[in-house]
Amino acid sequence: MENKEALNTLNDIKEMMERSSKFKAISGLSILIVGILASLVSAYIYFFLGDYSINTPTKWRITTYITVSLLVVAFFIVFIMAYIKAKRHNLRFTLDATMRRLLLNFFIPLGAGGLLCIALLMQHRYGLVSSITLIFYGLALINSSHFSFPALRYLGYAELVLGLIDCFLVDYALLTWFLGFGVLHIVFGIIFILKYERSK
Amino acid sequence: MIAHLDGLNKAFESKIRLGIMSILMANESVDFTTLKSLLELTDGNLASHARSLEELDYIRCEKKFIGRKPNTSYSITDLGRAAFSAHIQALASFINTQQ
Repeated sequence: MENKEALNTLNDIKEMMERSSKFKAISGLSILIVGILASLVSAYIYFFLGDYSINTPTKWRITTYITVSLLVVAFFIVFIMAYIKAKRHNLRFTLDATMRRLLLNFFIPLGAGGLLCIALLMQHRYGLVSSITLIFYGLALINSSHFSFPALRYLGYAELVLGLIDCFLVDYALLTWFLGFGVLHIVFGIIFILKYERSK
Repeated sequence: MIAHLDGLNKAFESKIRLGIMSILMANESVDFTTLKSLLELTDGNLASHARSLEELDYIRCEKKFIGRKPNTSYSITDLGRAAFSAHIQALASFINTQQ
């Protein structure tokens, strides 16, 4: 057996293990688009409210409607673009064990955080909502990175750190959302495209 | 293959059997259809290679019904995991001695 042959075999093994246990159809462009959308939307809310702080029930109601709609649109974009990427690169896109694990590991922390935010909003305790969204989103990314691109965990760490910093600040909800869901997604999306998608 | 090496397992010489083992190493259990599409094989081809690994006790096959549809899924045995790890180890140490 030649050296090269042994190396190829090891690479085949590694590739098969990865391909069968990780969901690889996430599109970097979709992350970038979500980041741009989130930046625009938070800038819009800022000019609409004229302030970084969201400190009255009315402001919160408006913000909640807009951000929940943004969330739905964002998931839709990520889903559709993953489907297109899967078709183009002949990757798997079925609700098999891998995708189910990815979705469960992403949506369990995110759902828990979402419920917590709803409870806080209902009790008119607004102060920690922005940091909780970032913290639980970060945890969801870290948790699900095992079943997709491992690099997703770095975005998760960044969101987590930003959320924790935000805990100690008052009245900067919009700014941290802009940084967390806008800027971080744009930066990560660009890195993702350059690292994983440029050569293909 | 030119020389026969110590530690390399004959059972994993075939690319298909190597693929089956790699996938089952990384996943708790994988059903027949998923395995087939991952390895781009026909039913008969996969079944015969899977059976030969089963006979060696490297993988275990579980047949059940989901509703009325029969569903076959495979998982790796402790013996299979050990044998495959030894095979990978042998490949890696072979590469190291060449460098």
